[in-house]
Amino acid sequence: MSKAKFSKLLFAMMLVLLLVLAACSGGSDDAEGDGGGDSGDSGSEENNDSEEADGEIYDIADFSPSKEGEAMDGGELNFGLVSDTVFAGTLNFNFYSDVYDSEVIDWFDEALLEVDDTFTYTQEGAAQFEVNEEGNEFTFTIRDEVNWHDGEPVTAEDWAFAIEVIADPDYDGPRYGDVVNLVGAEEYHDGEADSIEGLEIIDDKTLKMTFKQATPSLLSGGIWSYALPKHIFEDIPVADMSSSDAVRENPIGIGPFKVESITPGESVTYTKNEDYWRGEPSLDKVTLKVIAPQTVVQALETGEVDMVDSFPTDQYPDVVDSLTNVDFLGRLDRSYSYVGFKLGTWDDENGKVDMDLENSKVGDVELRRAMWYAVDNDAVGERFYNGLRWNATTLMPSFYEIYHDDSIETPTYDPDMANQILDEAGYEDVDGDGIRENPDGEELVLNYATMEGGDTAEPLANYYIQSWEQVGIKVEKIDGRLLEFNDFYDRIGQQGNDDPDIDVYSAAWSVGTDVDPTGLWGPNVIYNFTRWEDEENTRLLEEGVSPEAMDLEYRQEVYSEWQEYMVEQVPVFPTVYRAELAPVNERVVNWDIRQEGQEILRYEVGVTQDEPVLP
Amino acid sequence: MEANTAKIAEQKSPSSLNILLRELVRDKLALVSLIFLILITAFVFGISLFLNQAEIVTVDLFAINEPPSDQFILGTDYGGRDVFGQLIIGTRNSLAIGFLVTVISGVFGIAFGVVSGYFGGHIDNFMMRIIDFFMVLPFLMIIIVFVTMTPSYDIFTFAVIMAAFNWMGIARLIRSKALQEKELDYAQASKTLGSSNFSIIFKQVLPNITSLIIVTMTLNLAQNIGIESGLSFLGFGFPEDTPSLGTLLAYATNPQTLEFRWWIWVPAAVLILLLMLSVRNVGEALRRAADARQRRG
Repeated sequence: MSKAKFSKLLFAMMLVLLLVLAACSGGSDDAEGDGGGDSGDSGSEENNDSEEADGEIYDIADFSPSKEGEAMDGGELNFGLVSDTVFAGTLNFNFYSDVYDSEVIDWFDEALLEVDDTFTYTQEGAAQFEVNEEGNEFTFTIRDEVNWHDGEPVTAEDWAFAIEVIADPDYDGPRYGDVVNLVGAEEYHDGEADSIEGLEIIDDKTLKMTFKQATPSLLSGGIWSYALPKHIFEDIPVADMSSSDAVRENPIGIGPFKVESITPGESVTYTKNEDYWRGEPSLDKVTLKVIAPQTVVQALETGEVDMVDSFPTDQYPDVVDSLTNVDFLGRLDRSYSYVGFKLGTWDDENGKVDMDLENSKVGDVELRRAMWYAVDNDAVGERFYNGLRWNATTLMPSFYEIYHDDSIETPTYDPDMANQILDEAGYEDVDGDGIRENPDGEELVLNYATMEGGDTAEPLANYYIQSWEQVGIKVEKIDGRLLEFNDFYDRIGQQGNDDPDIDVYSAAWSVGTDVDPTGLWGPNVIYNFTRWEDEENTRLLEEGVSPEAMDLEYRQEVYSEWQEYMVEQVPVFPTVYRAELAPVNERVVNWDIRQEGQEILRYEVGVTQDEPVLP
Repeated sequence: MEANTAKIAEQKSPSSLNILLRELVRDKLALVSLIFLILITAFVFGISLFLNQAEIVTVDLFAINEPPSDQFILGTDYGGRDVFGQLIIGTRNSLAIGFLVTVISGVFGIAFGVVSGYFGGHIDNFMMRIIDFFMVLPFLMIIIVFVTMTPSYDIFTFAVIMAAFNWMGIARLIRSKALQEKELDYAQASKTLGSSNFSIIFKQVLPNITSLIIVTMTLNLAQNIGIESGLSFLGFGFPEDTPSLGTLLAYATNPQTLEFRWWIWVPAAVLILLLMLSVRNVGEALRRAADARQRRG
């Protein structure tokens, strides 16, 4: 049946590096005048539906996610990685943290386990498995024909080695949370044990893993399934691995293509891996290069790249008629944009979030809710993205068909409501300048962090700031400008040293294949950027992965409750869900952009002619 | 003796300012350019008094990328912002920065150059080494780094940053002229009569190189407007809510805007071209006036 390439989908949700909103400190003097227009705005809301005068509205349901055809033998393909910045170059699944790196790794490495369209492990991958009755002991057998690019066979030892490295106290990557469920991983991490008890190498190709607890997450991406070539890495100290040549310059994997050369941050050349275990890839050579979002259309039009990982959807309406040499594929994106509130800091010593509502300017849930009511995300989706983004409701996007709860009522654009909430919560305009002061009568100015990327970043950020100002909340762009992508994530705390000046930020998440949101919301994960935690949340998260949750209905209930709880607490609010478009040149065949339930795998992609089709 | 002086005053050759003006009037192209410059400046500064910058940079979701119409004379950009208003304010900002940079760097550069040239010797040697040092610095890179590091800045501080790396050219020029001037009889005579260095520099040497100063600063003005626009174009000037001609031009880096929405960037591009040409025409005419061999009038 259909199977899914598990490549980049990690059990934990991971941060994706996507467009965000910008901010600006537009003149505040007019707030009063604008405030008067509030009633008018809510009146115009009714008109939104009938408004199609300029710009067609598109629907993601009209796009196909894959493309098939008869490929010629060999051929070369140019792949564009759409990014404003360079890729970081940590080219190993065990160490990388940024989504661009994972795009680069996908071409030459892959997971040992496959998943199907419900994200459950299948027996189709490079390793097969058996599971005991309780559901906490797995025995994996790696196929004999699976080899590293240098010809060495992939062994059970390589797999166990990867997990040991991740659990090592010196490990500097972000994946420790993914292996902590193994029996003995914590003891190993704390230096109390010399080995991980739950890992047992039975023979060269057989590995047994014992988990502390059987949870539904285990089968849907909860097992670390990326091996690390021990014969290469064993002499490198764990702390130096992520910066070693074996990761940065000569990475190897088990995937359909081998890395031939790397221009750091800019491009990678791959040649085909004839020894690939599923069969010989169709293409001879693939070149990946970074291209800026502004030049994607030109690059596609001239055939400089045959396809790109994702297309800036805001450019689609302009080019849909003129870009005739490509086919647009599309799917629901796993990511959504959101506005987050900084509610604490990261406690590096204890590895947990340190929530501090008292000292956070946005510690008051009423203020956060009012800010949600103040923005019109439907208009944003229609106006900036022509319907290719749309208003988001809960923190489990509709991508999770079985868990997304439609019935939950979430705030939608209603400035009157926002004003009312703020009035009731004591945010009054004491000094009459059109800007509300906080309940203690002190000036309230929020600092807003957001990143550059794509053309709509700046107007979108300005739009949010204006919307908030209309209900009397003064928000200013931090540093008065948009932040560069890496700088942005550093400052909202991907390393744990949060910038204390940031109160509000806009970013985007890509969610994982497993619906379990602990990777973003657990009290012990560094990616919990809002630094928000509470007992109810922790309880729901734990229940969602408890043995009882093996029962689908129970799990759905828990997650419905969680979605509702997050709407009540508003540590973040989702703004828009997204569609993802991927244009491919007409000569490219057998390409499937889905990440789940893929029917065509990467090694099958081919071309029908030597030269790209031109318009 | 008295009569003598009076006679000389009557026959005095026309003052350098008069020569400059006369040359400008003779050169029709320069005259038209000058009038155009004055009009544009007056228009832009006048109109911008009635424009509200905050309102112009307000994002309007329901007016994105509108072509020119009665409501928006030059259409709107991708944030639904009025391009005409941005053009006016952008031109004002660009002109203001160009002017400020020219004045700041000019004043400093002239003082530095004239002191260096007038005193000569070790002082000159030392001061020139300072200039050499500044000249080897890659000033665009430094400005970019500085702008990236500074959390927020306004037009004045931005102008100061630019001026800090922009005064060496004029300082060198003035210094070489001052070196010549101080050897001339009038300066020597004045010195013999016991005038202080200060009064010789400001009352005698400086007035005699006025024309050179005016010419250089005019030509610098065009250059500085260009540098500012360039920096904004690259994204190292002001954020989008402080428009400048460069930010409007930068919209054209989006291929869709370049191809389908000319009204966003063409006016800014044309305006930059015209401004540059006008300033240059005026500057060239002044330069000719300052050099008797090239004078037309």
